[in-house]
Amino acid sequence: MDSFTAIVLAIFLPFAAAIFIPLLEKFLKHRIGWFAAGIAFLSFALIGIVAPEIIHGHIIQHSIEWMPSIGAEFSIYADGLAMMIGFIASGIGVIIMSYSNGYMSHKEDLPRYYQYLLLFMGSMIGMVFAGNTLQLFIFWELTSITSFMLIGYWRGKPASIYGATKSLLLTAGGGLFMLAGFILLHTITGSYDIATILQNPAIIENIKAHPFFLITLVLILIGAAAKSAQGPFYIWLPNAMEAPTPVSAFLHSATMVKAGIYLVARVHPIFSGTEAWFILVSGVGIFTMLLAGFLAFRQTDIKAILAYSTISQLAYMMTMYGYTSYHEPGLGVAAATFHLLNHATFKACLFLIAGIVAHEAATRDIRKLGGLRKDMPITFIIASIAALAMAGIPPLNGFLSKEMFYETSVEMGHIIGGPFTFLIPAAAVLGGIFTFAYSIKLIDGIFLGEKHHDHLPEHIHEPPYTMLVPAAFLAGLVILFGLVPSIPVHNIIEPTTAGIVLEEVHLHVQLWHGFTPALFMTIITFICGLAIYTRYDSIAAWQDRFNARYPRISVNYYYDRIVDGAKGSAKGFANFTQTGSIKLYINAILFLMVILFAIPAFMMATQVFPANLNFDIPPYEALIMALMVIAAIAAATLHRYLPAVIALSAVGYMVSLVFIYLKAPDLALTQVLVETLATIIFLLVIARVPQTFKEKIPKTTLIRDIGISFTVAATVLILLLNATQGIAPPFESLSHYFLENSVKLAGGHNIVNVILVDFRGYDTLGEISVLCLAALGVYNLIKSRGEGE
Amino acid sequence: MTTLITKTITKICIPLVSLFSISLLLAGHNNPGGGFIGGVMFASVISLTYVVFGLKYTKSFFNPSWDKLFGAGLLIASLTAFGAIIYGNNFFRSSIKFVEIPLYGEIELASATLFDIGVYFVVIGTLLHIFKNVGEDK
Repeated sequence: MDSFTAIVLAIFLPFAAAIFIPLLEKFLKHRIGWFAAGIAFLSFALIGIVAPEIIHGHIIQHSIEWMPSIGAEFSIYADGLAMMIGFIASGIGVIIMSYSNGYMSHKEDLPRYYQYLLLFMGSMIGMVFAGNTLQLFIFWELTSITSFMLIGYWRGKPASIYGATKSLLLTAGGGLFMLAGFILLHTITGSYDIATILQNPAIIENIKAHPFFLITLVLILIGAAAKSAQGPFYIWLPNAMEAPTPVSAFLHSATMVKAGIYLVARVHPIFSGTEAWFILVSGVGIFTMLLAGFLAFRQTDIKAILAYSTISQLAYMMTMYGYTSYHEPGLGVAAATFHLLNHATFKACLFLIAGIVAHEAATRDIRKLGGLRKDMPITFIIASIAALAMAGIPPLNGFLSKEMFYETSVEMGHIIGGPFTFLIPAAAVLGGIFTFAYSIKLIDGIFLGEKHHDHLPEHIHEPPYTMLVPAAFLAGLVILFGLVPSIPVHNIIEPTTAGIVLEEVHLHVQLWHGFTPALFMTIITFICGLAIYTRYDSIAAWQDRFNARYPRISVNYYYDRIVDGAKGSAKGFANFTQTGSIKLYINAILFLMVILFAIPAFMMATQVFPANLNFDIPPYEALIMALMVIAAIAAATLHRYLPAVIALSAVGYMVSLVFIYLKAPDLALTQVLVETLATIIFLLVIARVPQTFKEKIPKTTLIRDIGISFTVAATVLILLLNATQGIAPPFESLSHYFLENSVKLAGGHNIVNVILVDFRGYDTLGEISVLCLAALGVYNLIKSRGEGE
Repeated sequence: MTTLITKTITKICIPLVSLFSISLLLAGHNNPGGGFIGGVMFASVISLTYVVFGLKYTKSFFNPSWDKLFGAGLLIASLTAFGAIIYGNNFFRSSIKFVEIPLYGEIELASATLFDIGVYFVVIGTLLHIFKNVGEDK
């Protein structure tokens, strides 16, 4: 199998498997999760096949034509960066789906759960390997949509719905900004292809000098920040914790939230090294890191603490990617990349622990938990490893990447100089102190201290192995990466960093690297962290008081106001435009039609009634016209429904006769059939209503309606009279092209059909999709009306 | 509307019109017809049975799920469009092949016909899905 096929399979295998899940569920029952885990493993293995090639510095790229007219291709761009996130998405996928077998109750709607998980995983892998910005955008939005469905998995819970809507509005909305950024990028470079841009220094120079540079950067960063819960967009992540815990572990710590970081890393060579890049990326990163780290203190739900810590850890990476400067290209990239990998391991592990604790102790409230170490010794050890890694305690992997973070902060401070020499490292240390404090809180709050017997069940025991083993495996990785950093560094971090900075990279990461400034910063972090931890509860209490006193100083407050306000104004707009009176709608349509037809006709026509009209009509056509007029008058004046309907269909049938005389058999057939169908529907309806008009139409209404009809008829008449007299300059008929090419290109003699299914087949596909949506819409309208009453 | 005459005529119409709608669908590439017209024709004969025999009675022996039909139609049409990609062509590139069949002669196999079949199913499915639901509605 060649590398390209392997990657394409790794992307689409989860999608294909998702289709078969409901079918397989009939045989496998609640063991369907193992099937999903197997698929995830296959994807992992497929990426593993191509990994050696990528690790040796080869970039796999290949593309298939997709929309050649706008220069978009389906292309794969597999470098170290894509490989790493691909590994994380599929590898953590295996762990999460195995774990879910123990976590999810067998009574839940399991096929739906695993379908969403697989679809999400496929989208995520597709996104990282995308070699085309449009393709990246499509998979990006797919991850938003699947995460929306996963967060709202428990459809009955209002909190789930709120959280799902919020995450969709923010992450998918951010994606639209990103799309605008990509289109601007296309305007500057003329290409949607990522590889073309990355591999051409001249193009990158051109982008940096272009007047659209700043706006493009800002638009793309909005997408990245929204996805990774940075800056003001962080508010969706805590609410997303309404999802089942394995989902939170998968999406909201290990994969989807990393998409924004991935994007920043991917566009790093294009935008980095400029002042705007440093200020925007690092600025947002530092701000978010401190804010989220601080706000974590107030949380009482362990998943909420983890959510805030995720936001702040992602901000670390954001900050480090932003550090890259003109003098020192690539500064911080290795550190950020290493932290990305480490965070995926320890944070996913912590979420799994949160799931285990909630599963066994039936609560996630840290105030009620405590003293679980005796009942769950293994869980306690695993949790401690993961939390200590997050706190940055040696010899775990979190320590290594935190040291690198401190080191690069010091360097960046030196580069900028002035007060920033101290401010930037100080901010980094402060972030580390907060991280240390809440990491300790997790261990202390759940496992140490006294057990609250009045809140917790009497007998708490270890979870089943399906839940324990995945967490233990991740904890094992945490230790392995910490003790033997050369394994991940040589195989993953170096190729990834090379993919971001576009040159060969060699790193030396070790536990002991002498008495460096970073080491002193770590010591300060631990001392201050412990000091702050003693005041943990009073800080949380102060935050609560502050929030109660100033409810308006919160992003959530404005989010709620905007969303609720939108609901209100949408309702107002609907009430204004959709009154429910068909009469009004028709009048509005006719009024517009008269304006749009009559005014241009009067403006362009030389005279209202052309002098040389052609009255040379064949007698049969004249007869049909006369019959049509009579039938139309009958339809309008007859006083019983049935004859009126029949008169109306008579008009339609005669129109189709006219079509036949004008040699348009397809049109005539369609007209006959649609007319028949319409008549049948009428019959269906009038079978149930009284057979004569009961109401008396007032004279004023009658006069008004006649006036409207007359105006419309006159407009159409004048338009037709003038249209035949050359109201517009004659142009060559389009039909020649189709007549000449329909047999040659599409093999059909009926050009109407050939146009529909071949030349303009895409239109037809769109139309039948609309038709399907309309049918579903009608169904829902009818059903929901029944429910409302 | 449930007179003996309409009932009898409808019964005769059902097989005739159904077959005619299929022939319209298949002939559409070269002669008047096609997926849309064929589909509307089929839908009209089924809706005629709904009207003549009553929805409840018709459903007692003939009650397919039309929503699945239009889903399948959309799938066929989309797969046809995507099929071209698998063979290395552009999205929606159609292809034709002429095959000789003993005793019958040459017939034309066009991917556009497959697409037309998708359209046919979508039209039948959506129209009858709407009719059935509107008809059931109290």
